[in-house]
Amino acid sequence: MKLAALSEHFYHLVSPDIPNEWDVEEVMEPYTEESETVCEVILDHIPVIWPVSHSLCYDFLRQAPEALKQLNLDQLPYWVGVILDIYENDGLRAAQRFMENEIENHLSRLAGSGGLALTAVEKRLLPYIRGIANEELQIGPARETYTDTSTLYVPEELNLYPDNEQNFLLYKLIFTYQWGYIACGSFLSRAPEGLPLFSEKEDSLWLREFLDSFTQPRLARDIYHLLESIRVKIFLNTELPGLMRAVSKLPFPLHPPGAGKGKAETFFSSLQQALTGDQAALHIPLRNHLTACECQRYLSGKATAEDSARLIPRLYATFEDTDQKSPSLLHSLPFQGRLKLKAVETARKVQKEKMGEQIIDQMATYLQSLSQEKLDTILKDEERDSGKSGLAESDISMIMDSEFAQTANQEKTAPLLVTINNEELELPLELDRLARKFFDEFNQLPTRFITSAAGKAGEEMLQGNIGGQGEDEPQATGPVIYDEWDYRRQGYRKNWCSLQFKELPPVHSSFIRNTLDKYHGLTLRLRHQFEMMRSQERFVKRQREGNDIDFDALVESLSDTQAGLPSSDRLFIRLKRDIRDIAVLFLVDMSNSTSGWVNTALKESLVLMSEAIEVLGDRYAIYGFSGMRRSRCELFHIKHLTEPYGARVKERISSIGPCEYTRMGPPIRHATALLREVDAKVRLIITLSDGKPEDYDDYKGDYAIEDTRHALLEAKVAGIHPFCITIDHQAHDYMEHMYGPANYIFVDNVRKLPLRMPEIYRALTS
Amino acid sequence: MKTFEQRLEEHLITTEPYYLASGKEIEIALSAHKKGLPLLLKGPTGCGKTRFMQYLAWKLQRPLITVSCHDDLSTSDLVGRYLIRSGEAVWIDGPLTLAVRAGAICYLDEIVEARKDTTVVIHPLADDRRELPVEKLGELLTAPPEFMISVSYNPGYQSVLKDLKPSTRQRFVAISFDYPLPDQEAEIVCKEGEVEKELAHSLVKLARMTRSLKESGLAEGASTRLLIQAGKLTQDGIDIHTACRVAIVEPLSDDPELLAALQEMVSSIF
Repeated sequence: MKLAALSEHFYHLVSPDIPNEWDVEEVMEPYTEESETVCEVILDHIPVIWPVSHSLCYDFLRQAPEALKQLNLDQLPYWVGVILDIYENDGLRAAQRFMENEIENHLSRLAGSGGLALTAVEKRLLPYIRGIANEELQIGPARETYTDTSTLYVPEELNLYPDNEQNFLLYKLIFTYQWGYIACGSFLSRAPEGLPLFSEKEDSLWLREFLDSFTQPRLARDIYHLLESIRVKIFLNTELPGLMRAVSKLPFPLHPPGAGKGKAETFFSSLQQALTGDQAALHIPLRNHLTACECQRYLSGKATAEDSARLIPRLYATFEDTDQKSPSLLHSLPFQGRLKLKAVETARKVQKEKMGEQIIDQMATYLQSLSQEKLDTILKDEERDSGKSGLAESDISMIMDSEFAQTANQEKTAPLLVTINNEELELPLELDRLARKFFDEFNQLPTRFITSAAGKAGEEMLQGNIGGQGEDEPQATGPVIYDEWDYRRQGYRKNWCSLQFKELPPVHSSFIRNTLDKYHGLTLRLRHQFEMMRSQERFVKRQREGNDIDFDALVESLSDTQAGLPSSDRLFIRLKRDIRDIAVLFLVDMSNSTSGWVNTALKESLVLMSEAIEVLGDRYAIYGFSGMRRSRCELFHIKHLTEPYGARVKERISSIGPCEYTRMGPPIRHATALLREVDAKVRLIITLSDGKPEDYDDYKGDYAIEDTRHALLEAKVAGIHPFCITIDHQAHDYMEHMYGPANYIFVDNVRKLPLRMPEIYRALTS
Repeated sequence: MKTFEQRLEEHLITTEPYYLASGKEIEIALSAHKKGLPLLLKGPTGCGKTRFMQYLAWKLQRPLITVSCHDDLSTSDLVGRYLIRSGEAVWIDGPLTLAVRAGAICYLDEIVEARKDTTVVIHPLADDRRELPVEKLGELLTAPPEFMISVSYNPGYQSVLKDLKPSTRQRFVAISFDYPLPDQEAEIVCKEGEVEKELAHSLVKLARMTRSLKESGLAEGASTRLLIQAGKLTQDGIDIHTACRVAIVEPLSDDPELLAALQEMVSSIF
């Protein structure tokens, strides 16, 4: 193809954008030598990639001819999909890297032999490990396997084995093993008896300081890591025998025993080998350097992390003379990973702060819940002490009553005493548990917790006394991010739209009153009609079972018997209850195109609807939506589901006005998310709109229709019925496609809307 | 038609039900009975509330009349109603009235499921009056000292709509139940499921893992009852992996990912 033709085609594909001529010519140049089909196939992807990122599109065009040497044409769409996913998750650089370097990896994955990705197993293994650990552990990708005690870091992909089932098993083993280090208490925070204390800083981990105190910290760490790995293995053998049995069949690539057969090398390599085998294999290599008694302790699972720590100096002395230059003696197996004690320290610091905050929060809530009298005695003293801002630390104590606690076991049940100004407080269960955990973990309970909590409680009480304002108005919260459906990719654009929540300024106007006056007759009729639909209790006669005897039926039945006729057994009256259990969410289009009559009609119909639904007692919410571009979709709060229909809501309805564009996907997805949390028999989203979804950017035409359609499908999947009321001059073909047949209604005369809407609602919900 | 005595006979528990106390609940319940106080049992499903009532009834040698509450339960379902029998209206006592007349133990299981206007009927029985007005008969029954009323519910899946009214709540001596401690639970599984001690311990370990999945979307972890059922299946020759799948994993959830995670736990333990 000629360059000019190619460029023209390109411009056509990316219109209305007009990119630089020289850029286009540069990337199009190589395509002059390609066949027409290849050009076509590659250029077909431009409309998909261009709107996502222009640079990515250029890069794609540069790389595609190269990639096609290895990929065949059918594989190209999938490759593009992967590129876009990477771009959206990790940015442009990652996507470029992928395009440049990882075609082979990608190919082998396509062939089904590329290994197993963490993302593929995460959903399954995260609940697994949380269940096993009984803790909210996190999972994160990293180059090396390690844990910082709150997150388990594992490789992003495993391809040790050709069979992904084995790779999965390895993932499971890695997770379990890393948790094993935590469960076995490998990350010693306190000095075991008989070993030196270090107290450089409050938050540092004893184990790290201890290992660093050796001249070859790495050797010390490797020894400890190996001993702990043995402990974990033995622990897992008893705790999770099924898993250990399954993994015993996995072949592990062992580091070949070093050429220089030093004592240390033999020790390490023989034990590493034994780690992959069964438990008995550990005995001989252990016995070489440990006493029989120590050996027994390890093999019976009675050894503790303290034991391992105590063994380090001796083993270290034995091995110290080994070649210092050798990088590391421990060629760790995939599941062992590394001991990263710095990371543990950081994680502990974060956890300490988090738990401290929790304790303070709970303590503050608890203090507030105390009787006024008690609280006064606690807090009044503080005010008297005008010089200080908080309670004097000496007035407070928070101690484990360890007089009863001779052993660690008893300490768990020892009462936790908190006294403030000589007032003794008994902590609620939850708080007690938290404080105890904190104490166990960090061996202290700073009194700062109570001073802060008391301060906080006092502050909040004060605020509560003054204000009480703004309670019924939930503050607009930060934006929520939603995916968007791209039909060209048949996939989601991840984290594509940012939906912000806004409050409508209440407007004092006569709009509501005028509307009610205008539709006075209609309102009365509606009220009457809707009252009939209200949940009702009524007696139904002639039932087989019931609370009372239906005497009419009984008399009839007796006379039938007398007359020799078959008698009925429906002789009872029963109270029947029809309970409406409906939650409905109205989404009102506030785009610019609704200005004028449409807007008034929308508002009028909302007023009439609200009046009518109030009679029914159904739960309903009203939100308006508008916005411009994917970065600023806006949702206006008019009425929350549980909010009463009061003056404020009426004012907000009055202030509904035309704003910007109609991006329908994000508000529908948000409404779905809101209703998903609601427990109701019937859940409805009713969208009021005036035509096609459309936004300032490329959200128009088929793309917009397909995204809206998909958002509605998601709602249906969540068990929510979407229904759309469209105000337009004429019906369009796309409506049925977008909303699905029977899920929309089309109103051509806007003046009829206030009349039609309650009818529609009644039909929908009864 | 059954006589009064026959109807009662059915509710008498003759053999000692297995129950392992985990605290002072038996003493508390016995004193409550002695002093004519009503009982409120709360706790997760399958942790032994009903079994505790059976044991208590056996211990006291009183018939146990259990009513499983549901939202269509009406006052006359509890108190009684007229039926038509060969042209005549015959009064039939409801379970509550029967229990009052016989001085039995009346146990209303899952009381929050019943509508609030129905639960009000137990109010006069559950305070110091200890009486039951039967309006349709024009009778006022006074409960004999042996009579006891007890109710139970599960605070776990209680929604705002389903809560006990404070006026109902504040009549009872409340005993809180939870899953037993690991060793006790293993003993129970061992005894009731007729399995080896070791297997019982592993089952309990599995249950405790599932119970910590609350944050991950599992409404409630495996109950002791499920463990016993799994035990019974293995006892009959079903292999342990299958038994755990059908008796523990599948009943807990329908979510494919949670199911997979639970299955991984099973394969790790056994």
